[in-house]
Amino acid sequence: MNTAIKNTRSSGPGQSARTLVLIFVIIAGMSGVVSMARWLDSHRSKPDPSVEGERLYLAGQTVRRLSLAFNGLVADWYWMRALQYVGGKVLSAPAHVPLENLGQLDLRLLAPFLDTATTLDPQFMEAYEYAAIVLPEVDLLEAIRITKKGIAANPSAWRLYHHLGYIYWRQGDFQTAAEAYGQGAVLPGTPRWMEAMKARMATEGGSRDLAREIYKRIYNEPGDSTVKEMAERHLMQLDSLDQREAIRRVLTLYQSKAGRCPSSWRETEPVLRSLRLPMDSTGAPLDPAGTAYVLVNGNCDVDIDPTSLVPRK
Amino acid sequence: MLGRIAAIAGNAFREAVRDRVLYNLVLFVLLLTGAAIFIGELSGGQERKIIVDLGLSAMLLFGVFIAIFVGVGLVYKEIERRTIYAIFSKPVGRGEFIVGKYLGLCLTLLVNVVLMGAGVSLALIYVSRGWDPLALSIWPAILLIYFELMILTGVALLFSSFSSPALSALLTFFVFIIGHFSSDLKNLATSLGSTAARMFFKVIYYLLPNLASYSFITPAAHGQTPTTTSIFAAVLYALLYVVVILATTTLVFSRRNFK
Repeated sequence: MNTAIKNTRSSGPGQSARTLVLIFVIIAGMSGVVSMARWLDSHRSKPDPSVEGERLYLAGQTVRRLSLAFNGLVADWYWMRALQYVGGKVLSAPAHVPLENLGQLDLRLLAPFLDTATTLDPQFMEAYEYAAIVLPEVDLLEAIRITKKGIAANPSAWRLYHHLGYIYWRQGDFQTAAEAYGQGAVLPGTPRWMEAMKARMATEGGSRDLAREIYKRIYNEPGDSTVKEMAERHLMQLDSLDQREAIRRVLTLYQSKAGRCPSSWRETEPVLRSLRLPMDSTGAPLDPAGTAYVLVNGNCDVDIDPTSLVPRK
Repeated sequence: MLGRIAAIAGNAFREAVRDRVLYNLVLFVLLLTGAAIFIGELSGGQERKIIVDLGLSAMLLFGVFIAIFVGVGLVYKEIERRTIYAIFSKPVGRGEFIVGKYLGLCLTLLVNVVLMGAGVSLALIYVSRGWDPLALSIWPAILLIYFELMILTGVALLFSSFSSPALSALLTFFVFIIGHFSSDLKNLATSLGSTAARMFFKVIYYLLPNLASYSFITPAAHGQTPTTTSIFAAVLYALLYVVVILATTTLVFSRRNFK
């Protein structure tokens, strides 16, 4: 017994040397592990795009069963995977792709991710909102199906009717959009603007004012920041359209009076200033993103600077 | 009798603490702290929901592991170390021993669950930069988690009274999984054509604990709370189930010969 204790807890120079050797082995070993990991990372073959975009193996209902009591956590996992998936595709695209133009990216897994997240957690409102606002560009039918699934699971959630109306409005189907807003408007606790939206949708479906109203509502809703940014860009676009119309009127007036187009913004500055448009030091009017507008078509027309954050369409 | 049960329970609790069972709290705190700090960037503004989901799921998972791995060793270790002979040489009944051991582990789980619950509440207050109603509304869900763990502890104790720790752990884990599929068992029982098969699955359904009634983590993450009636019914069901299971364990354990 005593020998055993001596054997295991010996001290002195021998023990210190052994400790040092062990520390050296640990440090050297870890350095080797890190070096090897870096080498493996740098020599890893690129993932096969066909495998990367392969359909999810498990249906939402199956995942729900397998997740036992952890369905909320698994729903969060799918939600974050959806965000990472979109973010990864946007980052790997050669040029910046705004959220409202995601159709140009191959996002075939976005709908299954959002569908699974909402099957696992049927009250996951932010996932429904993302499906209603982002997904239509990628898969319109799935966006409508997931939003309707959300309405079936949460029949008293008026926001989902607002999202459904938004999808139809974006497609130009103002009648169906009005019906969706109308269905939501009768629910208890729904704000009054839903009823007003129903009426406006039926009478002025394609108007700029209505579009501004819709994006303001989306912007003011609690939810994903990328959706808010998208709404903000649309609001800037609408403001810019109004500004460009006003600037065009000024340019036309100048042309009719002077018999030529202005050589620079400086010549139209006093009139533009009277319109209370923000301007830079050269007299050029600024768009809602703070970038100066540019004169085009022989200085007879106005356009957004290509570097501006205001969307063109 | 109550004094003897309390002494055994206190001992079981001290033993669990000595075995560093509560060290899992350190891991839990690290998990929550990491989630509170980093998850905001990944979740698209859903950090509160994710903290509740993650915190309560970890609470259930850690609790299940403690209930299973400590629960199956409660009786077995006493037999293996032969300390059970010393215990039964004193005026301690087998039922008292079982109930004492059970309550000791329940106390350990209670401390664990309460500290973890407080951790989740604090993490919520941290990410909300102030008071968050979720910090309070998650507690009924935590109560349900605790009662689920009480049932599982009883199941682990029952299996360990007649089988090896490895097999007991495996069987208890199966009960945990099947317990969450109880609604499927019921559906199976009603949809089958054969009367014998229907009866069989019906018996299985009522025999195994209905743990799905204790799953309230996902709604809790949305700020929902179970109704008082459903909490009361779930607690009553758990207490009745535990009484049955402890009585069965005592019955099995009483037949074992330690002479």
